[in-house]
Amino acid sequence: MASSLLRTLIPFDIYGGMKLTGKYFGKVLRQANRGVKRTHVVVEYPEVPTTLMPRFRGRLQMIKDEQGEIKCVCCMACEKICPTQVITIEKGKKEGRKTPYPTRYDFEMERCIFCEFCVESCGFDSIILNHQFELASYNREDFSHALEGEFQNMFGITPVSHYSVASED
Amino acid sequence: MFKTEEMEINLGPQHPSTHGVLRVKLHLDGETIVRCTPMIGYLHRGVEKICENKTFFQGQVWTDRTDYVASVSNNLGWAEGVEKLFGITVPRRAHYIRTMLTELNRITSHLLWLGTHALDIGAMTVFLYAFREREEILSMFEAFCGARLTTTAFRIGGLREDIPPGFEKQVRAFQARFLDCLDEYEILLTENRIWKKRTVGVALLNAEDAIALGVTGPVLRAAGSTYDIRKAFPYAAYAEMDFQVATKNEGDTYARYLVRLEEMRQAHRIINQCLDGLPEGPVMAKLPKVLKSEVNEIYHAIEAPKGELGYYFIGEKGGVNPYRMHIRAPSFINLQALSKMVEGRLLADVIAAIGTLDVVLGEVDR
Repeated sequence: MASSLLRTLIPFDIYGGMKLTGKYFGKVLRQANRGVKRTHVVVEYPEVPTTLMPRFRGRLQMIKDEQGEIKCVCCMACEKICPTQVITIEKGKKEGRKTPYPTRYDFEMERCIFCEFCVESCGFDSIILNHQFELASYNREDFSHALEGEFQNMFGITPVSHYSVASED
Repeated sequence: MFKTEEMEINLGPQHPSTHGVLRVKLHLDGETIVRCTPMIGYLHRGVEKICENKTFFQGQVWTDRTDYVASVSNNLGWAEGVEKLFGITVPRRAHYIRTMLTELNRITSHLLWLGTHALDIGAMTVFLYAFREREEILSMFEAFCGARLTTTAFRIGGLREDIPPGFEKQVRAFQARFLDCLDEYEILLTENRIWKKRTVGVALLNAEDAIALGVTGPVLRAAGSTYDIRKAFPYAAYAEMDFQVATKNEGDTYARYLVRLEEMRQAHRIINQCLDGLPEGPVMAKLPKVLKSEVNEIYHAIEAPKGELGYYFIGEKGGVNPYRMHIRAPSFINLQALSKMVEGRLLADVIAAIGTLDVVLGEVDR
């Protein structure tokens, strides 16, 4: 009875919590503007670019070999495996090339769920998921990618994020 | 002189304390709850039906999106269920890595629960500390499989890739300080008088009712039961792990809080054992090019952070996709205990009860 009264009168529990908060407050205060390595856990994202892990799954991108040729040979594995059917390939031929050549390779990013099943199924290493993750846009057309096109092509980083803070200089 | 009558109010579906789009219809007599009906379905996407039209390989991406807080556990349930259907044996190393990642995911799920539940009840600070550790585990998931939330971590037959270089060091660095972090949460909450006033004796559910309602997971174990699928029907590498099942007898919100904290400690132990005893070898079993099922049906359950997560598959002859797939979602079944917990109690206890059940609406509605 006496001990419970004492516990009610003297707030040890609140003291413990305040001490913990004070510990972290003091830690940050000591490091503030001192040039020491900060223990901040917050990343100041749009101003400071984030570091991504090597396996990060970003936008689908097609890669070319050293001669500038498309590596894709239209085996349709990625089209088949895609859970949301965002890839459309049309098989064709190109002069001076033995393997089939994709005359059409469409990628509808709106429905893409970035699962990397397409890259996994590709036996020719012709597609990768790059590290681009700022993929917001105001226009629906910006999400459609194809082989041709000035901006929305399959071969590079797309400027769909014209509206991103990071891309502004 | 005064006319009194019952009042019907809606809690949600856009209420921040309902953790998503849960709508609770409450009949109130003053501040006392007479009747409580959870109304669900705002996030229904028909995952089970979609999976019937996708191959066994493709279906996994939908399991990420049921319980998006514990997607690795969902992936494990799907992968092991399909492996059971086809009789695939997974290499031992893959089992260990799966166990480790699932336990890391249990920690993230419980940390998210701890942060948001405390935030609902009124303790702001612990939310920030809990998310600090959760962030670290999410970056481990990013290192392992490339995504933080919708992981698609496992493949049928094992893993897509082995753990990346530096991953073990990252996990060990986290393991070294995680127990201290847990102590910090305990300093902030366990003896805190406001926390105790809001949780002790609130949202009571005894073991008998819990079993009758089919409630599993920490909610059941806080009522005195020791039922844990990791012990009862060991899957992955849990048969080789040394850990205890956390139980409490009180069956109130405070007991469930203590059970979840103890589960995080046990998860920490399991991760250490996985790292120490990580066997060498391949991570992927040899699979046929196209998985074609026979007429067969299986049920495979795993202990997800929220309770028993079961996958039920029916295969048809030569089928590349399941003829029927059903998810026994722990959140959905645990939510049925809500009315039992709060009827006759005060309105403010509903918030504590929803929080303590740890429902994720993506999983409730599927």
